[in-house]
Amino acid sequence: MAKPTPARPRTPLRRALAAAALTALPLTRLAAQKPAPLPLDIYTLPNGLQVILAEDHAAPVVAVDVTYHVGSSNESPGRTGFAHLFEHMMFQGSAHVKKGEHMSLLEAAGSAGYNGTTIEDRTNYYEPLPSNRLNLGLWLEADRMRSLDITDESFNVQREAVKEERRLRVDNQPYTKVLFEEGYKAIDSASCYPYSHSIIGSMADLDAAKTADVRQFFKLFYAPNNATLVVAGDFQPAETKKLIEQYFGDIPRAATPPAVTCEARFNAGARRETVRDTKATLPAVMRYYTIPAYDSPDYPALELLGTIVGRGASSRLYRSLAREQKVALSTQTFVNLFGPRRGPGAFVVFTIANKGVAIDTVEAKLNDQIAQLANGVSEEELAKAKNAWRASAIGERSRAATLAAAIQRANLFLGDAKSLDADFDRYAAVTTDDIKRVAATYLRPENSYTFIDSAEAK
Amino acid sequence: MITARTSTVLALALALLGAPAAAQLPGTPPAPAPLKPTKLPPLREATLPNGMRLLVVESHKLPTVALTLAMRAGDFTDPAGKEGLAGMTATLLTKGAGSRTAEQVSAAIEGAGGSLAAGTSADALTINASALSDSTALVFELLGDAVARPTFDQKEVDLAKTQTLSSLQLQNSQPATVANRVFNRELYGEGAYARSATPASVGSLSRDDVTRFYASRVKPRGALLVVSGDIDLATATRLATSAFKGWTGTPAALPAIGAPRPRTKNEIVLVHRPSSVQANVVVGGPTFAGTDPRIYALLVANRVLGGGGSSRLFQVLREQKSWTYGSYSSFTWNRGIGAFAATVEARNAVVDSALVEMLAQLRRLRDEPVPATEFASARDAIVGSFPLAIETAQQLGSSIARARLLGLPDDYVRMYRTRVAAVTPARAQAVVKQVIDPDKALIVVVGDATVLRDRLAKIAPVRVIRPDGTPVADAELAGPRPGTGIDVSKLVAAHDSFAVLVQGNPFGTSVRNVERTADGVKITEHSVLGPIMSQNTELLIGPDGAMRSVMQRGTVQGMETKIDAAYTSGHVKGAATTVGQAGPKSVSYDTSVVAGIIDDNAISSVVPTLAWAPGASFTLPVFASGEGVARSITLKVTGKQSVTVPAGTFDSYVVEMTGGPVPVNLYVTAAQPYRIVRTVPVGPPIEIVLVK
Repeated sequence: MAKPTPARPRTPLRRALAAAALTALPLTRLAAQKPAPLPLDIYTLPNGLQVILAEDHAAPVVAVDVTYHVGSSNESPGRTGFAHLFEHMMFQGSAHVKKGEHMSLLEAAGSAGYNGTTIEDRTNYYEPLPSNRLNLGLWLEADRMRSLDITDESFNVQREAVKEERRLRVDNQPYTKVLFEEGYKAIDSASCYPYSHSIIGSMADLDAAKTADVRQFFKLFYAPNNATLVVAGDFQPAETKKLIEQYFGDIPRAATPPAVTCEARFNAGARRETVRDTKATLPAVMRYYTIPAYDSPDYPALELLGTIVGRGASSRLYRSLAREQKVALSTQTFVNLFGPRRGPGAFVVFTIANKGVAIDTVEAKLNDQIAQLANGVSEEELAKAKNAWRASAIGERSRAATLAAAIQRANLFLGDAKSLDADFDRYAAVTTDDIKRVAATYLRPENSYTFIDSAEAK
Repeated sequence: MITARTSTVLALALALLGAPAAAQLPGTPPAPAPLKPTKLPPLREATLPNGMRLLVVESHKLPTVALTLAMRAGDFTDPAGKEGLAGMTATLLTKGAGSRTAEQVSAAIEGAGGSLAAGTSADALTINASALSDSTALVFELLGDAVARPTFDQKEVDLAKTQTLSSLQLQNSQPATVANRVFNRELYGEGAYARSATPASVGSLSRDDVTRFYASRVKPRGALLVVSGDIDLATATRLATSAFKGWTGTPAALPAIGAPRPRTKNEIVLVHRPSSVQANVVVGGPTFAGTDPRIYALLVANRVLGGGGSSRLFQVLREQKSWTYGSYSSFTWNRGIGAFAATVEARNAVVDSALVEMLAQLRRLRDEPVPATEFASARDAIVGSFPLAIETAQQLGSSIARARLLGLPDDYVRMYRTRVAAVTPARAQAVVKQVIDPDKALIVVVGDATVLRDRLAKIAPVRVIRPDGTPVADAELAGPRPGTGIDVSKLVAAHDSFAVLVQGNPFGTSVRNVERTADGVKITEHSVLGPIMSQNTELLIGPDGAMRSVMQRGTVQGMETKIDAAYTSGHVKGAATTVGQAGPKSVSYDTSVVAGIIDDNAISSVVPTLAWAPGASFTLPVFASGEGVARSITLKVTGKQSVTVPAGTFDSYVVEMTGGPVPVNLYVTAAQPYRIVRTVPVGPPIEIVLVK
């Protein structure tokens, strides 16, 4: 494995100091280890389609990922759940792909784990493939980008499937009423509707959706100039570029979609409510603290704080609430539940009470732990969080599909796919002072919304 | 200026390049490019001095390393009555070992950006560890300590038990988990795969059980260590030899796995999940042992039926009918007899239709050969996707470890695609005929039995159970049946005082007065629960034993509550305001009820009038006047015990009361006149005891 190259010629003294640092601070030494820079080829077709190629021949596998810059944040009141409903429509056939054929073509080609997902700011469609079938993945994406087939029949079927998905994921599961539906109302909906409502949407809005709305949505948002195509893995660049040009080059561009408007508001007061949940057997507390968008300079520190507070068995909350005081069955943090956001989001603490422990007791212990962050965190805790971050950032590069998703994330939310490499330095630069500062700035009672899950299942 | 000659050259160049700017998307899917061979990274093996096998999958693409240590000590090795022992032992291996406490272990591995986790499947106990590769030595050390030098600190054993018990409760709220557990229990009957951890079996586990299990089953001979990633065989051998030093021996002989319970016809086991808006359905049966070569044909048949989004179940139940978000089939590949299962989650209104369709699809798979193109798609999907299943060194390592544990030959990974590609439609149908029988299927449905039972009974015989397997009485589902009212002659005048204890501490009082009047019986009750609740209730019962009226006034957490209900023959009319966890709630009702119904506030007064005896059971129609809901309450004597309360020591029947909002245990004196001396709701730490 490559050793880091010294930036300047070293004097013997400098070398001795470096050696001492290696033994004294093994965790700091680890922070130097990062993967080789990604070989990214970034360009834009005349019709506005942005293309990013990332070549890697380790396995005969390739991933195609088309990300449209549209999500639930583009929805208006009365139209919730629309972006996600539309995602289902994208599997329903296009000019040259019959209904149901999209999936059967992919599966017969050996694609596994293909899907579409919708979050607040993007909807992505991806297919990992054996590398000899890259052409099929590109062809399918190009055909549905240019000619999605929107019929009343397929629309009605998909609307019912989405309603079933809602029943399965939200209505019939414990804790999901808050996590999937209510939670982000912690964001002020008057000043920032786009980021305060749920992705899954309300049943009433889904029922009210019309086929004409879907056509309009496609016209507005599903155009090459509102999308990014990533190809990652085992491919030949010249041949692939030619194919992309041939398949996507003549899809017409559309008008630029209207901008999402949101004014982030912090410290709206300590709010709380009890949510009835007849599916849960153990009560829970879900605390939402409002945080800024993914491109905020505070975001890396918030992510690392999330790890220190509530990720893993050595995290503060798990150690104190689950292990030492035995009041919680599980406790964890999410720095946004579904992924990055271009608007305000939430630092979420989700704690399930142990059997027989009152939820008030759990919440009091949780508050103690949050209050203690005012004393700062140790260098060791921070180094640990940074290592966990690096391991996960390196892990993303192990498979073509996860690498493609990471490239899309960096491109959309940080404005540059190359920031995937730069992030290794950005996260390494976070200090314990930064952690203390973001904890003091955002994890305040007056910046929080607390949900108590009543757990009424018999 | 462009001359004729240069433009010709340009045209020629464009033609040679073959990529005219106006090229169009072809109207049919492009043909596959030539298939690339899957290059397996070098696999190297060694046997360590203690007998364990070491397998190294070398790949230097990323600076990470992953270790998997597996041995045949899965859940099937749990002793009877000690279900959950293998899993708990696995968990405890990572909770303190060598010189490190549990906190120090997790801090060490997480500090290196890694993970260390142990668990069990039906067949195997597995410990996985991974980290950035400059912490490779640390990862070996932690894994070696975990299996060779675990501490099994009593404190950790206690904690693991508490957490397992809470997890079991959590699992009971997840319908898919309940469905899967009940399916295995019903399918395997007395076999080892039938058993799973229960609150009773986990409650019985001690540190001694764990150390005994560890001493007999967690042994290096037969264990397999797979190391994958940024490492070579020499380094792995050196680190493993040092890390596992002192760990020696051979595991005890493995217990028999046992065969599934034979079945002669379709049977539906309906797991009652009150108020569920959806039901989870599992339809399936047993297959064969893990080394059976028919597995490749079954793989393709399963793909046709429900292995993916283009399979029949998904296409019909979701895409055509919109009955579900997803419907799939799968099979478990065990060392012993495996199982296949088709699943669907569907809303209550279409559960029966979905089940009928699933059975029809199973029959079609058995009775008709799969058309050639559909078959080829299914087969190609498995063959084509294999490179994605072994894309990383870690995935490849896991595949090889799994094959070894199943007892498959070493060429399994290399020959997998060839063997699947060789399956024909005739072969697949022949195997389906042998192993999938949709007329002797086990069908498990988890959902609201009050809504589903009668509809499902039209498809196959239905047995209704609770998640723990105990039967649900018909009376509980059918709504109340007529009762005989109250035997007023046995309602003796009484004046009883009770204390309400919360976690053993006095928190409130309740006084009940029963007096005969010129016109029947009047019961008054006054209850105070600390500052939280205060309540007065007056019940009137006619000389014929029929309910007349209920009046209740009170406050709960400062909010007013009241009930006013009037009973006339076969009818109740009234209104109530009660306070629950979600705040105050009001109802009004004017409804027919069965004859002889009793107000739920009168239950305690009615209990002394019943004919108590060992094994006695009574089902009473009850109207909950605070909620406006009719129910059947069952009171059942489950045992006898001596109970000491402030009023004295009484030989008492233990009476389980079910059918209400929460199960309640009552302790009723064995001698007449019958009195309730103690009332204990199941769950909250509250009890009500007789003072005088």
